Amino acid sequence: MSTEPLPGPRGTRMVQFTQAAIGVCLCSTAELGIRILVLHPRSERSFWGFAVVGLTDLCPSPGVLVGVVLRYGIHVPSDVNNVTLSCQVQTSPATLLVNVSGKFYEYTLKGEISAQELNNVQDNEMLRKVTFDPEVFFNILLPPIIFYAGYSLKRRHFFRNLGSILAYAFLGTAISCLVIGSVVYGCVALMKVTGQLGGDFYFTDCLLFGAIVSATDPVTVLAIFHELQVDVELYALLFGESVLNDAVAIVLSSSIVAYQPAGDNSHTFDVTAMFKSIGIFLGIFSGSFAMGAATGVVTALISFSLFGFPLLETGLFFLMSWSTFLLAEACGFTGVVAVLFCGITQAHYTYNNLSTESQHRTKQLFELLNFLAENFIFSYMGLALFTFQNHVFNPTFVVGAFLAIFLGRAANIYPLSFLLNLGRRNKIGTNLQHMMMFAGLRGAMAFALAIRDTATYARQMMFSTTLLIVFFTVWVFGGGTTAMLSCLNIRVGVDADQENVGVPESERRSTKAESAWLFRMWYNFDHNYLKPLLTHSGPPLTTTLPGCCGPVARCLTSPQAYENQEQLKDDDSDLILNDGDISLTYGDSTVNTDSVASTRRMPWTGSWLLGTMNS
Amino acid sequence: LAGSIQKYVSVKDEDHFYHQGAVELLIFNFLLILTILTIWLFKNHRFRFLHETGGAMLYGLVMGLIIRYVTKSPDVESGTVYECEKLKSGPSTLLINITNQVYEYQYKREISHHNVNGHQGNAMLQKMTFDPSIFFNILLPPIIFHAGYSLKKRHFFRNLGSILTYAFLGTAISCIVIGLIMYGFVKAMVHIGQLKQWEFHFTDCLFFGSLMSATDPVTVLAIFHELNVDTDLYTLLFGESVLNDAVAIVLTHSISIYSPKENPNAFDAAAFFQSVGNFLGIFAGSFAMGSSYAVVTHLTKFTKLCEFPMLETGLFFLLSWSAFLSAEAAGLTGIVAVLFCGVTQAHYTYNNLSPDSKMRTKQLFEFMNFLAENVIFCYMGLALFTFQNHIFNPLFIFGALVAVFVARAANIYPLSFLLNLGRKQKIPGNFQHMMMFSGLRGAIAFALAIRDTNSQPQQMMFSTALLMVFFTVWVFGGGTTPMLTWLQIRVGVDPDEDLKAKAASQSASDLDKNTTKAESAWLFRIWYGFDHKYLKPLLTHTGPPLTSTLPEWCNPIARLLTSPTAYGDQLKDGDTVYIINNDELTENYDSSAHIPVPAQDSTGSIQATGKEDIQEGDLGLGGYKLQLQHTADQPQKNSLA
Repeated sequence: MSTEPLPGPRGTRMVQFTQAAIGVCLCSTAELGIRILVLHPRSERSFWGFAVVGLTDLCPSPGVLVGVVLRYGIHVPSDVNNVTLSCQVQTSPATLLVNVSGKFYEYTLKGEISAQELNNVQDNEMLRKVTFDPEVFFNILLPPIIFYAGYSLKRRHFFRNLGSILAYAFLGTAISCLVIGSVVYGCVALMKVTGQLGGDFYFTDCLLFGAIVSATDPVTVLAIFHELQVDVELYALLFGESVLNDAVAIVLSSSIVAYQPAGDNSHTFDVTAMFKSIGIFLGIFSGSFAMGAATGVVTALISFSLFGFPLLETGLFFLMSWSTFLLAEACGFTGVVAVLFCGITQAHYTYNNLSTESQHRTKQLFELLNFLAENFIFSYMGLALFTFQNHVFNPTFVVGAFLAIFLGRAANIYPLSFLLNLGRRNKIGTNLQHMMMFAGLRGAMAFALAIRDTATYARQMMFSTTLLIVFFTVWVFGGGTTAMLSCLNIRVGVDADQENVGVPESERRSTKAESAWLFRMWYNFDHNYLKPLLTHSGPPLTTTLPGCCGPVARCLTSPQAYENQEQLKDDDSDLILNDGDISLTYGDSTVNTDSVASTRRMPWTGSWLLGTMNS
Repeated sequence: LAGSIQKYVSVKDEDHFYHQGAVELLIFNFLLILTILTIWLFKNHRFRFLHETGGAMLYGLVMGLIIRYVTKSPDVESGTVYECEKLKSGPSTLLINITNQVYEYQYKREISHHNVNGHQGNAMLQKMTFDPSIFFNILLPPIIFHAGYSLKKRHFFRNLGSILTYAFLGTAISCIVIGLIMYGFVKAMVHIGQLKQWEFHFTDCLFFGSLMSATDPVTVLAIFHELNVDTDLYTLLFGESVLNDAVAIVLTHSISIYSPKENPNAFDAAAFFQSVGNFLGIFAGSFAMGSSYAVVTHLTKFTKLCEFPMLETGLFFLLSWSAFLSAEAAGLTGIVAVLFCGVTQAHYTYNNLSPDSKMRTKQLFEFMNFLAENVIFCYMGLALFTFQNHIFNPLFIFGALVAVFVARAANIYPLSFLLNLGRKQKIPGNFQHMMMFSGLRGAIAFALAIRDTNSQPQQMMFSTALLMVFFTVWVFGGGTTPMLTWLQIRVGVDPDEDLKAKAASQSASDLDKNTTKAESAWLFRIWYGFDHKYLKPLLTHTGPPLTSTLPEWCNPIARLLTSPTAYGDQLKDGDTVYIINNDELTENYDSSAHIPVPAQDSTGSIQATGKEDIQEGDLGLGGYKLQLQHTADQPQKNSLA
């Protein structure tokens, strides 16, 4: 019978797949279920003082439960008769055909295995099935999260604090990476002395660890902030920092990996190699940035004409965003970073071109994807604590790492805040600084970076430690956020509008004039040329371009912009309101008329996507 | 370890291994974006000859052509195969020691002898070939779920009997007819001498018949929807095609399991009955699994989840997916489970959702359906050139073409004749012709054919199925509009008027229908009575509270299980809702009884109508008939009132 399904005892790739998928699906379902039960009574009583446990702080717990069950509860007889074959091939082929007693089997390369793992490999088939290819995280789960984050960044407070956020994200991450690297290196040196080290651990590894755990991800804290309406300034600072942080940490870690000094001793300091690494960092970052922004603009141009079919619009939006990621990966840039900037650009331009219904749909789609991906990662983390088979837990290293992340965070926040306060009109208060220090949770990004490569001893130890750090920070810091807020006397229940009124007009103006001239120029340019070119809003190009460009301008402006021309005046006032987002300077207290669309009730955490603050 | 090992290498750069997949996926994205833009253009200009799926296929074809003939394979293949005496069977993991570095290899599949050479063609082509399980595990479930989710419409239930007949009996007939004709052609091919190298058994023919029996008239349905073609025709076609898929999948599975003991060509009664039993078992099991998952979802009524629309949507999505996976794990057919899960969820769970999540859920599945469908059709276009083991045999293809037509005719005409004997509202000749014409093949046939392409008969079947899909989608899909005019099928039918006319004719021949319905629909009536009294209150917030419907001694349990919102003013409304509700299926079971009800309590009835409108009209009609249905409800009920 030729149509027989795959024969043999393990002709069951299907089953393997399904089991893996089930493990995870059930896991996330269970997680959701628990979440529903837990969250339920809480949210009903979410008034001040009551410990509103955030959304993600329980995330890993069901994963942990399932992990324990899989590890200790289920003993699958290991039917893998692994045979180590020796052969004369020089390279490792990606596919392998093996002739076993007349039948040909195809095998695909899965990875390299270090010597000490040889015995572990066949340990438990079930554990193996629920272990995912690390690339899944980078290629499937992270992009929606990051894209959504970028997509949510379109807020006035973000742009107002852009300078500080960039400082924290770039300088801060670099500082944090260096500090953590050095502290951990000290720790490793200590371990070497006491003889606890079971393998090589170089300074570059320490730096890599620093880069990995520098990616903060305070979802829990932000969710609580949002619920309690904590000071918007603090919120914007933390959120902006954490989003850009991730991008910096990814690129940083890949350039540290690329650091390879010439010569025999491959782990000494080498100036050229270091500059090369820095060059790689800058190259990848700006490349990804350019690619993301470019595809964002392309999407805007395409969606410029596409109108009236919400399904098609949403589909296009989704596909374009994903293409950005893939394109960047294919070109050797970092897809996640490209997606982040693509999200920001799209939120700025493309979003305006979509019809109201597609705006809704798109937002909800990405919200859901973000939600699912985030929960999946956190559940998987819990699972990985038990199912990952090569954990290396070293108490000294763990303690050292904890110490290092605190020091790194402190060295990031306090000095930078001090410097920023010198320039800022609206100082970052000490209690805000403490809160930012406290909110240095580690999350999905650190995990994904750590699990990406677990081939060597050093990497395995890093992975195990990162996992512990994530657990600890999410549970302890995440759980303690509310307590900390009241302890630090941070204002909660702040109405964003009221706050704006509080600041005297003249003062605001002068502040802005000092700090934001660069942004003002950019925004004028953006408003006068880019917005009309890429979206249906803004004044028609014919009015903003000099006379000589008239013909060009005319063919580039959308017909709708002309129709708007009668409302040009309206438009201008709109502009001011719109730009109120960015440079409050033009500002007035009527910011909340910003747009009707943005005050739509968005029921979940992501509701601040379009700003609940101005409602 | 000594194993006399030769090698088969397709060298790949380690760096490229990292970004593997990005380029291929990018190509797909690019094709889909192109498709979307084209479709937008077509929709804007109201071209109806090319549906989005046809467009996707076209682009896939072009891209496949480019990849096939423009890209050069950079690989220098040394096509040798390792031999290893130590292994008795292929283990799932293989550790290979290559110059002192151990590599881990994972089992992928078995390859038949004659494929070993074809296997090492162009690396790009190989990369563009997806694992067939992707279709079954990732792309088909959303499509099927969406279809099931859209099935809850009154016209569907009104025509349930006919639809089931077409789907079950019709598919079986079609499968057997195609199998027989193909067997004849295969015999002829053997006679001519075209089929020397391998055998093509009768079971293979039947297998081909069952996979070609899955019709998928998306193109036609989209046009019908746009032109507002007669709703009865629409429902018949849509319902048939959805259930059809489920039947064809299970049928294929049981045919592939059918393995007589000795001679594979001889008929073996035991094996045959085993296959039939298998069919029934899998179908029933999948049905039960899907429904039970849906029931689990219903329990959301006890939470206040509706305050969090996104959680609700997430839960909905995850549970539907779990239904698929657990059915697969239990050895049942996941797709069938998902289908019934969708149907049941549309019926019960949907009522528990908040309006916001209703919208979200509907849109989410619509979106996923859209993407998955276009990806599959796009891949079909690609596969025509990138699949490396095509076997095109002109005679076989010609035979398949003939067989598909004959089988479709043998499905539609006799069954319609039989059904017309029992139906009050006959299926007219032009409808039959149209149904005959709409026998397009699509995603399911393709997915079934690509599932296993190891042996030569399977490869030939795959190539032929691919061509059939192309032919039917382009030719029939493109010819739908001319065909409609040619057959003089009413377009632009306003469903309201349609129903009004029917209502008028009903009252004319009341007595007559009473008897008809009493005969045919009593089973459904019983079911719906049960459904309304016990299941709906148990699983949703609607319907009368259980306390009133259950016997007295169950009172404590009933009180526990009824949701608090079911109490209160619900009770009185509930009953009228019930009657109006049921009116859909046993439409004129007792049409004179409608008149007194609203007369008794006209305000209640109006309220109820409104409520029912919200529930029915919103109910996940997907992209298709939302508006249509929504407007359909009110006037009819008003006219009854």
